[in-house]
Amino acid sequence: MEYAIELKGITKSFGPVAANKNINLSLAKGEILALLGENGSGKTTLMNMLSGIYMPDSGSIFIDGKKVEINSPEDSGKLGIGMVHQHFKLVERFTALENIRIGIRNEGRFLHGADVRKKIEDTAAKFGFDIDLDKVVANMAVSEKQTLEILKVLCYGAKIIILDEPTAVLTVQEIERLFAVLRKMKEEGHSIIIITHKLNEVMAISDRVAVLRHGEYIDTVVTKETNEKTLTELMVGRKIELNIERPVMDKTHPLLEIRDLTVKNDEGAIAVDHINFYIRGGEMLGVAGIAGSGQKELCEAIAGLRKIEEGQMIHEGESIVGMSPKKILEHGISMSFIPEDRLGMGLAPSMSITDNMILKNYNESKGIFVDRKTARIEAQKVIDRLEVVTPSTETPVRRLSGGNVQKVLLGREIKSGPNVLITAYPVRGLDINSSYTIYNILNEQKKKGVGILFVGEDLDVMLALCDKIMVICHGRLQGVVNSDHTTKEDIGLMMTGTVNIVNKEGKTDGIAKDSAITDEEGKA
Amino acid sequence: MRKYHLVRRADARLKRTLIYYAIGILVSLIIGAIILVALGINPLDYYGRMFTIGLVGNRYGYKSIEGLLKIFVPLLITSLALSLSFKMRFWNIGGEGEFLIGAIAASIVAFNSTGMPNFVTVLLMCLAAMISSGIIGIAVAALKVKFNTNETLMTLMINYIMLYVIRYIGETKADWNFFLRDDSERPKFGTFPDSAVMAGIPIGQFKLLWSVLIALALTAIVFVYLKYTKQGYEISVVGDSSATAKYAGMSVGKIVLRTMFISSAMIGLAAALAVSSAGTISDTITNNVGWTGIIVAWLSKLSVPAVFVTSVLISILQYGCQAAATQYPAIDSNYADLLQGIILFSVLVADFAANFKIVRKEDAKNA
Repeated sequence: MEYAIELKGITKSFGPVAANKNINLSLAKGEILALLGENGSGKTTLMNMLSGIYMPDSGSIFIDGKKVEINSPEDSGKLGIGMVHQHFKLVERFTALENIRIGIRNEGRFLHGADVRKKIEDTAAKFGFDIDLDKVVANMAVSEKQTLEILKVLCYGAKIIILDEPTAVLTVQEIERLFAVLRKMKEEGHSIIIITHKLNEVMAISDRVAVLRHGEYIDTVVTKETNEKTLTELMVGRKIELNIERPVMDKTHPLLEIRDLTVKNDEGAIAVDHINFYIRGGEMLGVAGIAGSGQKELCEAIAGLRKIEEGQMIHEGESIVGMSPKKILEHGISMSFIPEDRLGMGLAPSMSITDNMILKNYNESKGIFVDRKTARIEAQKVIDRLEVVTPSTETPVRRLSGGNVQKVLLGREIKSGPNVLITAYPVRGLDINSSYTIYNILNEQKKKGVGILFVGEDLDVMLALCDKIMVICHGRLQGVVNSDHTTKEDIGLMMTGTVNIVNKEGKTDGIAKDSAITDEEGKA
Repeated sequence: MRKYHLVRRADARLKRTLIYYAIGILVSLIIGAIILVALGINPLDYYGRMFTIGLVGNRYGYKSIEGLLKIFVPLLITSLALSLSFKMRFWNIGGEGEFLIGAIAASIVAFNSTGMPNFVTVLLMCLAAMISSGIIGIAVAALKVKFNTNETLMTLMINYIMLYVIRYIGETKADWNFFLRDDSERPKFGTFPDSAVMAGIPIGQFKLLWSVLIALALTAIVFVYLKYTKQGYEISVVGDSSATAKYAGMSVGKIVLRTMFISSAMIGLAAALAVSSAGTISDTITNNVGWTGIIVAWLSKLSVPAVFVTSVLISILQYGCQAAATQYPAIDSNYADLLQGIILFSVLVADFAANFKIVRKEDAKNA
């Protein structure tokens, strides 16, 4: 059998850390291979070597049976390898056509030549892409951008397509559409490698699954002959409990109530549009929505970091509108937001764990000096309790791995003993084990009677973890559903704005209002 | 096909860095020596004279130390001040301008201080300089905070504005202009009355100026300020990630304003000490500390102890060249700037070499 790609003994180190150790991998022609592994298992590093971003320290790469050396993305392109990165590489101000056109060499001088357009249109039609070539990227939804990225590599003549976590940013329906395209590509004889964390997707789309663990190649299995449980075991190396615990608590009175909240984003457009909800003690409320539906603005508004246009925010009967972030923090509302780069907000990457521990309360100690002695003890406590892997409390956060960074952040947030914990994407980019640690931390808080707002991405996780899920679409509330009485598909439909249960009569889940506080009191 | 590639070294060992720095400096001295040979000067003689700053075989050796310290004090304080703002990632390259504002403000006090007690005059000079420089610092920071202007551009422009202001003062003969000498036909800066000249502690013939002690005290204060105080902590956080600072509830704008005030005020203080020690003002009073200070701050990687050491070394280089130049008419103090540039360049290369290594592909395979 001839392979599209064969990797033999690939090793790549970054300093003392071996990201890939002696990896052997093969991709047959016309197959979809899922590359599965926890975070930090070396998937992205391996693929970056195929796309010419990194070069292996040792080992060989064979394309169509011939030994090759890939020294740059250009080499990779010439060999027919196209990579769709997790973070899109598109020029925001250009149209779809222009974005594709700038990468096409040796074909006329003009950007908008009719022949090029024809070629792109043909390719799009062949694979069943639905795309407006004259739309500017800045105006595109995430799924459109991804479609464009895929179309782009196809137009460049790629026969081998690598997709790095393509489903992370998509809704259920969009994922189905993506998979349809991938199957079409497969029919046309393309070979595809898809990197993903999600086992159900692996089962749905792939022919074979290659598993990496801690930079080492574990095994390749045929999808039909395996199941999710076996794959999980291969991936993590031991059996793990797939069920996320959801303790049921006696819910107390509403701790935080949001009424008719309207917030604008940085560009001045309405990001949160008249949203109503409340969180009770001992309850975890999930927030589901496609990326960029106003989650960030909502979190920032509650934390006092963003001016609100309209509405009320009531915490334990007291309005927190207009309070400084510090004041809101003192009231017991703690917010942590994990951005896409995981470090940008909430942590100072070059500073030590100790210094990051006291970020929100360094001012509480007396005098002009920072109390690092106490901070160090607290840092050690967090390290011990949350099992943060670090050489010492003085290690810069930048040097820690993703999971440990997030543990440090959450550890700090819960250390101050908040009664409302707002956490956005706390498991973003984490592997299963680290994710479970985070879920446990959150559940522990819930058991203590803390009200939690969990802004998440993975619907399976949210359905398992949260008591209720609030769905938003374009900043508008689509409804609040009970996790026990809903399905992923229902939520998916609400996320895309297809279904809105807020206005349905008799649906008490839709609008939540704390009856103990009248409108007049809230305004006061 | 590329045979070599760069790999970041896993461990940043101080010892290796220092050795590489030493090699870098050695290489620059060798390049400097080649230039000297080309000019027909014996480099060993010249370097000998330079590094002993004219102390050897000089009956007035104490004068050399005094001269060295007059270069050292403003450079040290300015470098510390710039480190403070750089730590916050606020690119204050207006050291020259801020220095000149301070110098002018201090001179206004000085020229009008006849008959006042020395201590009071010098104190007033320092305060005047610190406040006026500090206000300019705040103004630039306020534009940045309020309108997100580019601070590099703003501070750069201040340098030129102030340079021309002091030239204007220095070249305009007029009744109001008390900066100039009355007894000279040509416009010429006057000398300060005795009340405004920096006093010191006499040690034999040598006079240890108070300004030196102030600079040393300031070094210790800045070290503690950055490392142990809440405000120093805030500067680090804002510099590392201003989004994080905002999320932590810090008021980033206030911190930027405050830090820029302190930074500029320190440069103003450096200027006041410099004019008071010199007993006069001129348009070259800055001795380029605003620029050299940037080099010192970066060579030191914004570490206060390193700023101290680097300032000593750069001062020896500069004063040593001046001292050596008296013996060699073919060469003047510009050579110091040249050598300084070569050293900076070599040290940057050394720094790169200390952090990265070049690996041959074949070697990597065997490793």
